[in-house]
Amino acid sequence: MSTRLARILTTIFVLAVVLLPIYWLVSTSLKSNREITQEGTLYPHVPTLDNYVRLFTEKQFGSYLANSVVVTFFSVAIALVFGAMGAYAIARFRLPFAAERKIGLFLLTLRIIPPVVILIPVYLLMLSLGLLDSWLGLIATYTAFNVTFCVWMMESFFREIPVDLEEAAMVDGDSRFGAFRRITLPLAAPGLAATAIFAVLVTFNEFLFALALTATPRAMTMPRGTATLIGRIDTDWASMAAAGVIGALPIVFFALLVQRHLVRGLTMGAVK
Amino acid sequence: MRTGTQARKYRLQGAGLDLALPYLMLAPGLMVVLGVLVYPLWDGLRASTRAYRYGSPVADVGFQNYVQLWSDAQFLNSLWVTVKFVALSVSIEAVLGFALALFCLHEFRGIRLLRTVLIIPMVITPVVVAILFRLIYASDAGMLTALSEAMGGGGVQILGNPLNAFIGLVVLDVWEWTPLMFLILLAGLQSLPHEPFEAARVDGAGPWRVFADLTFPMMRPVLAVAIVLRTIDAFGTFDQVFVLTRGGPGEATRLISIYGYDTAFKFQQTGYAAALFVTIGLVVLALAFSAIRLLRRVDAS
Repeated sequence: MSTRLARILTTIFVLAVVLLPIYWLVSTSLKSNREITQEGTLYPHVPTLDNYVRLFTEKQFGSYLANSVVVTFFSVAIALVFGAMGAYAIARFRLPFAAERKIGLFLLTLRIIPPVVILIPVYLLMLSLGLLDSWLGLIATYTAFNVTFCVWMMESFFREIPVDLEEAAMVDGDSRFGAFRRITLPLAAPGLAATAIFAVLVTFNEFLFALALTATPRAMTMPRGTATLIGRIDTDWASMAAAGVIGALPIVFFALLVQRHLVRGLTMGAVK
Repeated sequence: MRTGTQARKYRLQGAGLDLALPYLMLAPGLMVVLGVLVYPLWDGLRASTRAYRYGSPVADVGFQNYVQLWSDAQFLNSLWVTVKFVALSVSIEAVLGFALALFCLHEFRGIRLLRTVLIIPMVITPVVVAILFRLIYASDAGMLTALSEAMGGGGVQILGNPLNAFIGLVVLDVWEWTPLMFLILLAGLQSLPHEPFEAARVDGAGPWRVFADLTFPMMRPVLAVAIVLRTIDAFGTFDQVFVLTRGGPGEATRLISIYGYDTAFKFQQTGYAAALFVTIGLVVLALAFSAIRLLRRVDAS
């Protein structure tokens, strides 16, 4: 009986710690600035959606959202195609000088280096190519980060799939690539999904490179646009809260939708 | 006549265009990586040995930028703040995450809800996490102030006070990343073999004995991996600090990444900042490789 009570209390405590900050964000976003600073209410006494309307009519949140969706979609899609092919080559072929293993190790090393290390040169590169403040500059950058990740994730998924199935397909007349496309790729679909989901999450949330590489609503992504609302001594708490809700909503919704794949992606590699 | 393995090898390698296939499949990904990661990495190394003015190189200074780092009080301070932040956050996360994972190991009602809710902090955009905590800490509109006033107290100062702001940042990180620790450790616990635990129960071992003699030693590798992953990640923390405190008040929360960003984009010292970032990269790589070494030794013994 006492363990049951302890369980209930702990569960309630953890839920409260996680959810209270989120409650406060949503509740603040439904108040007027006057209510926030002068009355200090614990819940919105006069709920209003004005803050949200203002984001889209005055602060160009529509463009930020569109930029984020476009940049995330293309960088993840391209990285998945390139990454799956690369991972398959590393998992299945034996090249001279064990080149495939060296390439795999090299890509993994690149992954460990914190992205901040190449912030300046990537900025200089995009500056010289005229790709600052553009979709293309962001897509190129994120695709590269995602490729290293996709190769690393997909390689282990391909290794789990028995090679006999491909051999059978080739005996039946498939080409090597045909066997990969028709047999192996569909079998690796769950792994592909987990990889894609994780890449979407990281890319949609990325801030540092968006901060350095974009400057106007033409290319600013959601996190970047949200951060511009926040000056150092800003007191427009209401807009800030609404921006937080709008910024977090798509990705939280997405994450809860694909929860099971997500947990596998997050914990993979650590346990096995 | 061909032997079996040779025939198998022949079939797998295929013929004609198939022989070039591995290279064709590797090429697109490698090209992107070479262009957008490797070239910048090399360019960054080059930039770190130069002095810049208004964004263009004006002189080769060799290793001077690197030497200068170690007599730069602001750099040393940001390094110290980062080490404190990483050590404190990651150890709290590891303890809380492990405790919570042990707690959730036995199925009970409400556990699915708990696991679902725990996903939220780590998927929310880091910039928004910082907004969440600014709204909690703010001295005028914050949740802490509102609660304190509702109970008859005065306003609460968090982000204006150096020590409180630092603690506030650690609390933010713990809120955001304990769930990841929890998920990794829970997966680890669930993959442990059952037999030793049943044997211990038959022998009448108490829960503390079971934990100290069985659970903890068996979980050491997973725990180590989780801590290493989090440490590497925490070392590069930027977004949350940028939005929460911008490194202030004073230099109390100025992590190394924030100092590097300011050096590059605010003070326009491109070469010096490049040297700083290369140094961070080397530190993290050294950390990662020594951790891998350590893990191999744990595995072997």
